Amino acid sequence: MSFFRRKRLFSILLALIILVGLIGFSLMNRDQRTSIEEFFQDSFGWAQMIVLKPINYLTDVVSNIDDMKNMYDENRVLKENLGQYQKVLYEVQELRKENAELMGALEKSESIRDYTPIHATVIARSPEKWFKQVTIDKGIQDGVQKDMAVITAEGMIGKIHSASQFTSNVLLLNGFDRSNRIAVNVDLSDSDQDARGFILGYSEERNQLLLEFTEYYDEIPEGEFVFSSGLGGVFPDGLEIGQIDEVSTDQYGLTQIAYVQPSANLDDLRHVIVVDRDIETVFDDDGEDEVEN
Amino acid sequence: MSRIYLPLILALLIILQGATANLIPASFDAAGWIVVIHGCFLFLVLIKLFYDLETTYYALLAALFVGLIIDIIYTDIIGVYMFSYALMIYFVHGMRKLLQTNFYVATLLTMVSLGLVDALLYFIYHFIGVTQLEMVDYLTYRLMPTVAINLILFFVLYLLFRKTLIKWSDERFDLEKSTN
Repeated sequence: MSFFRRKRLFSILLALIILVGLIGFSLMNRDQRTSIEEFFQDSFGWAQMIVLKPINYLTDVVSNIDDMKNMYDENRVLKENLGQYQKVLYEVQELRKENAELMGALEKSESIRDYTPIHATVIARSPEKWFKQVTIDKGIQDGVQKDMAVITAEGMIGKIHSASQFTSNVLLLNGFDRSNRIAVNVDLSDSDQDARGFILGYSEERNQLLLEFTEYYDEIPEGEFVFSSGLGGVFPDGLEIGQIDEVSTDQYGLTQIAYVQPSANLDDLRHVIVVDRDIETVFDDDGEDEVEN
Repeated sequence: MSRIYLPLILALLIILQGATANLIPASFDAAGWIVVIHGCFLFLVLIKLFYDLETTYYALLAALFVGLIIDIIYTDIIGVYMFSYALMIYFVHGMRKLLQTNFYVATLLTMVSLGLVDALLYFIYHFIGVTQLEMVDYLTYRLMPTVAINLILFFVLYLLFRKTLIKWSDERFDLEKSTN
């Protein structure tokens, strides 16, 4: 009997060692997933596309019915906005033309603003709520790579956390921490300069993003929009992230921080766009420039 | 039959877990509740109770595989679900030797093992730093709603699969006995 007990103890200890090993392996900073992981991710991804389609359709219908209740009010507001958009559209067209001419004059063909969109559909969301991840139906074969930004029509929602051959995992903004900072600009309407800063992470209590400014700015009005600046080396310039809700200082009173309300709704995702920056991406972890495509 | 159907049902349950986030009402999130559906684990407990014999370890083997796949496709840390699921199925295996398997024992055993499996996940994730949730908050906001919701799911699975599992078990293991 004591022999069996010892055997049981031994196997549990062995399991613990394997557990620590596996966790250590997966916490390593990896650029590429192992082929076993890719195989499971892709094969279950395909099965999910088939099985979850009717379920997703059903939830869509339910939320559409919810939306219909607000339709009348929304329609009125939208009609009012539409008149203004025409004016803005004309302005944008003029500015684009002018920008193209100026860039041509400078013989500069690509900017960090340009990107190629890859359209994707969300097929599953992690049931473990502590991992803010969704799976999309585009992978390395479609041009998706690790660390690309992911947006919806409303704004940025996250970045590619890991890419398999035919599917990839997206880390949502509310799962960001200090190891995935975003360099951002804040438009200051009453001055020429933009305020610069970093998105440091997500505040669970407020359900808002935490922005830290690199310098001290006297006046940062609430309600200003926050855009990615493209200086982090991964994301393109000018992706909308959110709107400043409150400006304050950090716990030591040394730096200025702001709480940012994300523009996109992170709970209800269906169609997303993966942003493939046209200009070459600089990976800082291995110290050498790598060229995409 | 069971050799094909059991893995298929487990795979389907894993796939369906990806849609649970859409099916849980938004009012739960608003109340701060974190509900995680452990559909696969519930089915594994059922397999352990009604399909496995006292000397076979099919549920344990399945728990290792299911845990690994959940780790790979839904979280990015491999080994946590695998370890927790397998350890708790082993616990159920041990308890089953001591207790009779009727409805009340099955319910109680599921509640206890489900609570332990979720707590184990919390401890490991807390230790690694995936979550910063405090112990007290975890107990009120995650453990209680999770066990409650999963228990309802367990009743559904119990009613659907108990007889079938016993039938498959009889077919499979009687066949082996007769051929031996």
